[in-house]
Amino acid sequence: MPHAAGRSSSRRDTVLFAGCVALSLLALLLPAGWGQTLATGIRETALLPAIWLQGRAEEGRTSRARLQTVLAQRDSAAMAAQAALGLVAENERLRGLLGLRRRDPAAFLAAEVLHQPIPTDGRTLLLGVGTREGVRPFLPVVAAEGLVGVVLRTGLTSSIAATWAHPEFRASAVTEDSGVLGIVAPAASDDPSLAVLEFRGVAYRDTIPEGTLVVTSGLGGVYPRGIPIGRVSGVRREELGWERVYRLTPLVNPGSVGHVVLLQPVLPADSALIRESVP
Amino acid sequence: MSNGRAQGWPLWLVLPLLLLLHFYVRPRFYSGRGAPDFLLLALLIVALETRPGPAAVAGFAVGLVTDVLAPVRVGAGALAHTVVAYLAAWGRSVFFPDNVLVNMVVFGACTWLRNLILLFASDPGLGALVGSLAPWGLLQVATTAVAGGVVTLALRHRVDVRLEE
Repeated sequence: MPHAAGRSSSRRDTVLFAGCVALSLLALLLPAGWGQTLATGIRETALLPAIWLQGRAEEGRTSRARLQTVLAQRDSAAMAAQAALGLVAENERLRGLLGLRRRDPAAFLAAEVLHQPIPTDGRTLLLGVGTREGVRPFLPVVAAEGLVGVVLRTGLTSSIAATWAHPEFRASAVTEDSGVLGIVAPAASDDPSLAVLEFRGVAYRDTIPEGTLVVTSGLGGVYPRGIPIGRVSGVRREELGWERVYRLTPLVNPGSVGHVVLLQPVLPADSALIRESVP
Repeated sequence: MSNGRAQGWPLWLVLPLLLLLHFYVRPRFYSGRGAPDFLLLALLIVALETRPGPAAVAGFAVGLVTDVLAPVRVGAGALAHTVVAYLAAWGRSVFFPDNVLVNMVVFGACTWLRNLILLFASDPGLGALVGSLAPWGLLQVATTAVAGGVVTLALRHRVDVRLEE
């Protein structure tokens, strides 16, 4: 009898294991959108206390360093502002002469990055802000050094950003001097810890020197123009003599970034009026 | 027997402590990828104390949590943790002796295997194997093994009791 009980218990173990593996495989095979919706639902309910706790811990760890950085940046900004007053007045005068409207102020939202100790952390990042703070999908995520990625999914109090290391990341980009346009995408590499980017779609006739800064082009409506992405570090491959693909060394390491800014587009007053008038 | 149980830290105290370490203490001091994974450690401790079936269910639940917190491919974490928890529980019931060093090796090996399956399920290819052997991955294996050793020492008497029974 004990033998039979042991066999039955062992069979139950196997059934439970097979069931869990089957559910995992089912989740893997589900359309990405369904899986992400399920993840957002769990994140916003059962895991809310854990995320809140981790958010407070991250804030506590980075607060001292951030205060020092902010003070240093404030001092630098104050010095620059003194010199900029004349430029601002001159700019206003010239805009007035040319009949141009005022530039819209940039709006942004600061967020803590809640890192997870798993190897795929860095392809997606959990951010400690959500729709309650005004986050919505496709907001660009940037760090002080440059582009980190884009908001993928949002919940009430947290959101998920896909970084440039995510296999589905793409951004329209241009060299700093606006000479060469292309598409930036993560490079397939055998070593995920040495993730780099590719600058694709560059015409064969165009040559980009090493060290050239590549920034977002503003095309596509997701990333505003001018966010630094990376520096060219050589030719990665050539496609049948009509396209060169350059290797790009990213400026930001998503695995170690602790604090990011989400850029929010500000609609000019006149376009807001247009939007309201459209039924 | 009862002395051992009285001296060891109870599991109901150690598991919430590990969760606190994972969600508060670790991000408070160092949240890099080489940090010990206390959530996985809690799962492995539960797996070593239970039968393979319930361990697989616990692994699925913990894996779902990692999928939710860092979703590259939802289901990859669930699969990795289910397999690792089942193997740990099965291995314990079949041949793991009770020894702190052996437990540390088990914790380290399980962390490496979890990373390998997670990377492979997220992005199939040779890169998964290379990625799991990357310096930060091996550092996490080492830190998790050491943290597991400390927890095992705290639970040691309790484990002794289980073997005697």
